[in-house]
Amino acid sequence: MKKTSARKWSLLLVLCLSFTMVLSACGGGNNASKNEPPAPAPSNNEASGNNQDGANNGGDGGGSPLDLAMKGEYKGTKVTMFGPFVDADQVKFENSIKEFEEKTGIDIQYEGSKEFEATINIRVDGGNAPDIADFPQPGLLASIAKTGKVIDLTNILDQEKLKANYNQSWLDMGTMDGKDGKIMAGIWNRSNVKSLVWYPKKQFEEAGYEVPQTWDEMMALTEQIAKDGDAAWNIGIESGAATGWPATDWVEDIMLRTTSPENYDKWVKGELPFTSPEVKHAVEVMSEIWLNKDYVYGGTKSIVTTAFGDAPSPMFDNPPKSWFHRQGNFITSFFPETAKVDVDYDWFYLPPIDEQYGKPVLVAGDIYAMFNDRPEVRAVMEFFTTGESIKTWVQSGGVIAPMNDASLDWYSSESDRRMAKLVQEASTLRFDGSDLMPGQVGAGTFWKGMTDYVSGTATLDKALEQIQAGWKN
Amino acid sequence: MVGRKKRKGSKTLVNIILGFICLLWLIPTLGLFISSFRPAADILQTGWWNVFPHQDWKKSGESVQLPKETDLRQPIEVGGKTFTDDQLKSGVTVDGDRLMWENRRARTLSVMEKGWEFKPALTLDNYKNVLSGKEYKLKNADGSETVQKGSGLSQAFWNTLTIAVPATVIPVLIASFAAYAFAWLRFPGRKTLFVVIIAMLVIPLQVALIPVLKDYTALGLNGSYLGIWLAHTAFGLPLVIYFMYNFISQLPKDLFESAFIDGASHFTIFSRLILPLSVPALASIGIFQFLWVWNDYLVSLIFIGNQPDVQVMSMKIADLVGSRGNDWHLLTSAAFISMLMPLAIFFLLQKYFVRGLMGGSVKG
Repeated sequence: MKKTSARKWSLLLVLCLSFTMVLSACGGGNNASKNEPPAPAPSNNEASGNNQDGANNGGDGGGSPLDLAMKGEYKGTKVTMFGPFVDADQVKFENSIKEFEEKTGIDIQYEGSKEFEATINIRVDGGNAPDIADFPQPGLLASIAKTGKVIDLTNILDQEKLKANYNQSWLDMGTMDGKDGKIMAGIWNRSNVKSLVWYPKKQFEEAGYEVPQTWDEMMALTEQIAKDGDAAWNIGIESGAATGWPATDWVEDIMLRTTSPENYDKWVKGELPFTSPEVKHAVEVMSEIWLNKDYVYGGTKSIVTTAFGDAPSPMFDNPPKSWFHRQGNFITSFFPETAKVDVDYDWFYLPPIDEQYGKPVLVAGDIYAMFNDRPEVRAVMEFFTTGESIKTWVQSGGVIAPMNDASLDWYSSESDRRMAKLVQEASTLRFDGSDLMPGQVGAGTFWKGMTDYVSGTATLDKALEQIQAGWKN
Repeated sequence: MVGRKKRKGSKTLVNIILGFICLLWLIPTLGLFISSFRPAADILQTGWWNVFPHQDWKKSGESVQLPKETDLRQPIEVGGKTFTDDQLKSGVTVDGDRLMWENRRARTLSVMEKGWEFKPALTLDNYKNVLSGKEYKLKNADGSETVQKGSGLSQAFWNTLTIAVPATVIPVLIASFAAYAFAWLRFPGRKTLFVVIIAMLVIPLQVALIPVLKDYTALGLNGSYLGIWLAHTAFGLPLVIYFMYNFISQLPKDLFESAFIDGASHFTIFSRLILPLSVPALASIGIFQFLWVWNDYLVSLIFIGNQPDVQVMSMKIADLVGSRGNDWHLLTSAAFISMLMPLAIFFLLQKYFVRGLMGGSVKG
């Protein structure tokens, strides 16, 4: 008994010691990342002349809040921000606002949480809303906007400037139902493009394939690849509790290509049921690829069990085991580090099916909403409507700036630049439908119904009925 | 004689069963532990048991070249035998060797033979990334790359400790005062009050989040250590009081009576008699409360948030996997690092633990 307890004590000691050692060894470098003291603002005297009226009516007096901020008017103030991105994205975000913080002396305190969707409601209800929140799902913002707790940006931001800097459809997507009437609930800061098919460029060219321009060409190429001995597509929809979401993107993309944008909007609003022929047709088109075991790497069965992030990996085997992966531009963060954009891999636009619907593009993005109205928060919001606010992030890759003043030269890869162009030139721009639908459908039955259909536990009709049932709850 | 033998036999059986259950419980932990030393690509592809020596199919170097124009949708002939494409995809055994596609496109089959795999690929990268922070590669405008180092777990570790220690000591201290009062002081409303406190055990803490958050906002306690100490104290108190009450009310009455006769005040009795006598109970409920606070995610998420200077370990670890879960393999090592502290506490206090566990078992 004595012996064992002595041994345990020594074990404990060793554990504690080793841990402290490790901690102290790496503890030193961390403080470096803390906020640096704000850079000296350009002469305060000059600015203080017009600060009284400027701060009070926040716009007309001495220029816009952003101009005032740039003069150092709000030096030393803090703006809290809450959003869903963490880790690498957080580093990129902080880099992109660094210069603004140094120039204005406004400290933007960003807090990222993986549980953003769950937490933001509690914070808003508990009266602890951040000054600015970043919503990846406009549907979520819409439900909060209805409670009247989101500040209407219509009179806060210069509408003329916004119109000049954004595609009208972005502004429309930021307009939501408030407590009394329509309000401008948020502005778009980051976007990503979804209608992309990734392929291993080098081997693709070596194999003598050509990028398809129409859906039929794409299907012919798929068949050709199957004959050559590979499954063309790699598809994975496993994503923990969110399993099924990549399937919804496919349906949305095909919907845009097989029916009118008006029908798409109706569908997203719940006016066009899932059981309608339009939606059913879209899923059937998708099934031509998904349910053909020769077209999908690992066969149809593996779709449900493959994690969406692991799905593209067969493309990077040598020789590739599969060739196409339809996914938004964020997927590159799952690609192997050794693979180089524009050289080893590239993307092509998911081709149109019916010519009359042009070249629609499915996008997603982050909308920033304001919860506390203070002059410095206004300034930061205005800053976020400029391309400058996202410049370094654009340069480091992975996002597309929705603003028009974001220059195409900023993109560091040809691939990103083409994406930005694609968005700017799109005949129809539509937001990811499942993110716009209410949670019970868009993040509930839609995911589940598609998973059931693909895994074979439900027939198409039954699955669509099941998805539609989500609207009633 | 016979009876004793029988007892011995049944004891062995019980031990075997217990050992088996122990093993069953330990296997997932063991798997996680081994995984934490494996490279990310390996974790994705094979199970953790592959680190042990095992037989595996290896390429023998031979391959079979089929005619280029072989139609894959028809039965495929290889050396006089026909196989289907599916068979060749998953591998088909012929005379102890296995045939499998090497390059389906080029129509080559590789012949594989069984061999032993001894040397597992192990790495410390997962621990390095978690402890000293990940490295982020950022592209600059001119196409060059800069590497920026993220923060490691150390700050979060101290934050968690700063939260967990007071959030354990405060409720245990308050609860032992309360338990003494409920057990040995006679005052009106004692029973009602006690029942009310016990009734709070059934209230899930989630329903209190928004009201408490509103109060905290009004008081300015959000995101402060004081706020979260109070929150943990309040959420933990009912159980701790109940536990301590059961223990303290079981202490022999005679002790206190004699102390009273000798002129001891309630406070003397409490500090000189009750506290030393209830060390086992204090230790075991202390472990419970500490573990709860250490592993807590929800309460910290709501009341203290995710700013780096107050962020707790559980939240930092959740962030490690990245916005889209691309680095989930880091969870393996992070889980083990976050386990160290509770393990240390457990071993430190474990001799009280079993004794104290019975504190709640005999109702007073």
